[in-house]
Amino acid sequence: MSSATANAPASSGPVLTPQMRAEIEAFLPRYPTKQAVTLPALHVVNAHLRCVPMAAIPEIAEILDLSPAQVYDTLSFYGFFKPEPCGTVRAWVCRSISCALRGGEEVLAALSGKLGVEPGGTTPDGKITLEFGECLGLCDFAPAMLAGDRVYKNLSVEQVDEVAGALQQQADEKPG
Amino acid sequence: MATIIIDGQEIEIDDNERLNVIQAADRAGVAIPFYCWHPGLSVVASCRMCLVETGTKNKETGKIDMVPKLVPACQTPAKDGTVVVTNSDKVKAKQQFVQEGLLLDHPVDCPICDQAGECWLQDYYFNYGHQQRRADVRPFTSQRRDLGEHVTLFVDRCVMCSRCVRFTREISGGGELQVVNRGSHAEIDIFPGFPLDDKLSGNVNDLCPVGALCSKDFLYEQRTWFLEPHNSVCTRCSTGCSIQQHVNQNHLYRIQPRYNPNANDWWMCDIGRNENDHVHAPERLTSIKRRGDGGWEDLLWPQGLMAIHETLIATAKEQGGAKLAFVLSPFLTCEEAFLLASYARELAPETWLVLGKVPVTGEDEVFKSGFTIRAERCPNRKGIEEILKHFGGNTCDWAGLLTKVDSGELAAAYITGDYPDPWIDDAEAARFEKLAWLIVHDILPTPLARRARFVIPGACSAEKDGCYVNHAGLLQATEWGVRPPEGSHVDGQTFGDLLGRKGLYQAAAVIRELAHAVPFFARAAEGVPEAGLNLVTGTEQQPRTTALGTVTHPLPTFRSMAAPFLEVESTT
Amino acid sequence: MAEFEPVLTANVHKPDSHTLRVYRESGGYTALKKVLDGMSSAEVVDAVKASNLRGRGGAGFPCGLKWSFLPKDHPGPVYMCVNADESEPGTFNNRLLMEDDPHQVIEGIIIGCYATRAQTAYIYLRYEYPTSYNRLQAAIDECYANNLLGKNILGSEFSLDIYLHRGAAAYICGEETGLIESLEGKRAWPRIKPPFPAIEGAFRKPTVVNNIETMACVPHIINRGADWFKSMGVPSTGPRDAGSYGPKLYCLSGHIEKPGIYEAPLGITCRELIEKFGGGVWKGRKGKAAIPGGISMGLLTEAEWDTPLDFAGPGKAGCLGLGTAAVVVLDETVSMVDFLHNSCRFFAHESCGQCTPCREGTSWSERILARIKAGKGRLKDLELILNISASIGIMPGTTICGLADGAAWPMKNAVNKFRAEFEEYIKRTNPSGYAQEDAVEALELVGLGVH
Repeated sequence: MSSATANAPASSGPVLTPQMRAEIEAFLPRYPTKQAVTLPALHVVNAHLRCVPMAAIPEIAEILDLSPAQVYDTLSFYGFFKPEPCGTVRAWVCRSISCALRGGEEVLAALSGKLGVEPGGTTPDGKITLEFGECLGLCDFAPAMLAGDRVYKNLSVEQVDEVAGALQQQADEKPG
Repeated sequence: MATIIIDGQEIEIDDNERLNVIQAADRAGVAIPFYCWHPGLSVVASCRMCLVETGTKNKETGKIDMVPKLVPACQTPAKDGTVVVTNSDKVKAKQQFVQEGLLLDHPVDCPICDQAGECWLQDYYFNYGHQQRRADVRPFTSQRRDLGEHVTLFVDRCVMCSRCVRFTREISGGGELQVVNRGSHAEIDIFPGFPLDDKLSGNVNDLCPVGALCSKDFLYEQRTWFLEPHNSVCTRCSTGCSIQQHVNQNHLYRIQPRYNPNANDWWMCDIGRNENDHVHAPERLTSIKRRGDGGWEDLLWPQGLMAIHETLIATAKEQGGAKLAFVLSPFLTCEEAFLLASYARELAPETWLVLGKVPVTGEDEVFKSGFTIRAERCPNRKGIEEILKHFGGNTCDWAGLLTKVDSGELAAAYITGDYPDPWIDDAEAARFEKLAWLIVHDILPTPLARRARFVIPGACSAEKDGCYVNHAGLLQATEWGVRPPEGSHVDGQTFGDLLGRKGLYQAAAVIRELAHAVPFFARAAEGVPEAGLNLVTGTEQQPRTTALGTVTHPLPTFRSMAAPFLEVESTT
Repeated sequence: MAEFEPVLTANVHKPDSHTLRVYRESGGYTALKKVLDGMSSAEVVDAVKASNLRGRGGAGFPCGLKWSFLPKDHPGPVYMCVNADESEPGTFNNRLLMEDDPHQVIEGIIIGCYATRAQTAYIYLRYEYPTSYNRLQAAIDECYANNLLGKNILGSEFSLDIYLHRGAAAYICGEETGLIESLEGKRAWPRIKPPFPAIEGAFRKPTVVNNIETMACVPHIINRGADWFKSMGVPSTGPRDAGSYGPKLYCLSGHIEKPGIYEAPLGITCRELIEKFGGGVWKGRKGKAAIPGGISMGLLTEAEWDTPLDFAGPGKAGCLGLGTAAVVVLDETVSMVDFLHNSCRFFAHESCGQCTPCREGTSWSERILARIKAGKGRLKDLELILNISASIGIMPGTTICGLADGAAWPMKNAVNKFRAEFEEYIKRTNPSGYAQEDAVEALELVGLGVH
């Protein structure tokens, strides 16, 4: 992965906009240490950019008085943050036991086929990222999918076209 | 006193000692295996190799109550009445399981891995592991990842003990190392563009119990079972880290730190560790040379020393002792300095004794744990100063000497060097052209040596027995690891010969002589213990020697039963 | 069951149940007023202790007792962490409480902080609950605007800040010290104990970590008393048994007619929950097994469905415990190999990787199950699975946290209780290789994402 001779991530200017910096710094008074703002900071950047670029890490580290490795250590623990932008809509299809019992894995496979992406991938038009999730806490609506803030309930393989369409629409509704 | 019972054996520890069960067992001669624990780092108890059964013994009733579940020995304090069992079937089964877990995905790189011979996975596999592989087999290669100037990582060999990451966060403070990913996909890495390049980077190679982190400077150089350890002292700054030279067939292959709570704890910096080219440099001076009108000629030792001695005596007689200066380099050992100063004052009581040039680079560099690389880049300024103080009379420092040289007050100078790096430039050396007789005793050619009338080949610290006094007054003994290049003698031999003493130079005898002659060194009269003697404060920690093994960092393990090691007191 | 009046879910079906207005109309914040007007912190701790309220997050530790471990004379600050990470497969009751009655939870938190003298509470909320996030934040904002949070609550000396801290999709952040490490901005590697969080927790200060549902019980205990709370549930059987008191939200999912959340006193049986509340096994099928309390707890066979779902019951049937009381039903068509593969895959994905037995044991068991499922299993693998599951966990003492026990129990229960099925599957799908004893080729595990 990395190399001692690799350069620091390239960027043509700071990744953190003044707006992002302000949002991150707003968290500082809530905690007794700066390091505790690590996750909130990553979420701020992720909300703005749909990812956390490598170049953002040293900038975040500087605000929090940490080494870049300390920030990245935390980031990489959670599979949640990606270095490249996710689609406009990020859709998790649950694969844990309650959903799997009611066909969740088949739904994921069908949706993957329909959208033309493997789990973890983004459609070529940049609209939809499809992922598997571990128990999303939506077992009463199994098989379930969480896309952005929206919960898709009681999915079935038969509905795959409909669901794909709904995701497209959801992506189109979102600004930017 | 607290009584701990280990596998039925009772041992006592002092009430003020803070030991964990690993250390207490070590004292009882019982080895408890571990990977992630290190006395200088925070306790994480994550490797789970040190699991033992524990319980308590009621002092009145004698009843022993054992706790049903295993606990890590590294996080269990040894208290009065603690009962420990390390050899039950329950413990053995779990040791086997942990060993097996670590070997599940471990590339069988032993034939090409530096760590072989001092690898804890190997050792523990033989002592504690299963014999047959139960797990499914996956072919895989170990990817190699560059982490810094001195550190390379074989990613798949890592056992996730996290010692290296804790080191960069707790000791050096640079925080360059990280764990990435989660679960069995976890790996060690740096952040791109922020390599592990601080001056303590080499310590992580020592800390790594397996062949994951390897020293780039030592990689593929030598098999560890050929290496002989010699307890020495680093001479690159006045911290005076305790070190070990690892030598085979008179070649210095590697230097690692030794534990010394009075000097360096468990660590050393990369300068002392890696900048050792001078030891085996082909340009080493290897014979006494005299410069006459016809150029340079080599002299045999008896011949050369006689010529030098006669020159010095004649100068002293004809012009007075005050015309002679003897420069005692801060790279000389105390014994060597004592002998040279004795010789100088035997020639004439008014000879000048000069503290050699003290190299200073920048500021003291203090790391998070307090470990310091001192700006004063020599081992023994304090020792030389004390010897000069004792002899009294005409003494000065290097600046004073230069003044004297410039003013023409001196006729002859015997200048010792032994510096590992270039220490004098052409301009400064040119000032000595005024002297009628310049004798340079050094290890490498310098502009000064070029201008000398006599050049004597000296020895570097890797080749010397003797003592140094560090910045805080700690006197430590260093052992030679390699012989000086053929043709050179150790300085102590040279000075003893000049003094007319018969036989081989024995530093141990001279330190006793020094201890009796100079009050500052009096405590060294009975010898110098491994962790040194603080001659300023009069007190220092003396870690206990145990029969078993060190709990510091990997050393050639085939020695672990043979050599006495220092026991370590926990810092937590 | 007809006599049981919902306690925790009394308001969730009311329109706008998540607002302060509706909560107050239902008598909300009277408990807080009662506490601030006339009870000392110690008295509140005693009240909760007297109720024998046990944590609903999975461990079942008595709440009042946990609060009493805080050092009395510590200069502070003391922190409360509320565990809203709810990630145990099959569990979704905290979601209901946070979405549809957040003020009930918040009132419990405020009272809990008063009892423990915490002046800052962090709600660690899993990222995958966006509605809970919005509703909780709105409720918190309402509280600040109405002198229920912030300085001098309801005119008293007591001040409190509550902050929402969002997670990032890691199950181990639901572990008490994993949560604390994540809150502090580090990777969620659980800590060794001692020191315990009550002594040295978040930011190395005294800390209590409590579950959402547990906090929701607190206002009711204050309002109606310990005796009322103890009138529900299963009484203690002796001094070493804390009993199973109070109402419980049971989650029901899987092969069930009516998946959902059902509130009942602790101690209903698994069969009662499935048949009386859940409408029975779906599609008219027969039941085969059920997870009693989130997948970590293991499996009850259909014959064991009369096990009471209280803190003591599932343990007697060989399961790990009550856990989150999330029942997942498996009908007669389920392959136990599929079940166990799903379980092992989950735990391998979620293992934090810090300690060797869990890191290696979960990944190894996933590989074994993948191999069995793909038709390359051996009978010997069943011994291996049992050996692995006996070797990992805080119960044997070989790991730092209980994730490993959660990984182990489904293995133990599935293989022990359905042994014949596993053997049949292995022999049928690997007729030429099932008897092999030596190590075999592993399969590549592809297409499973980054982790």
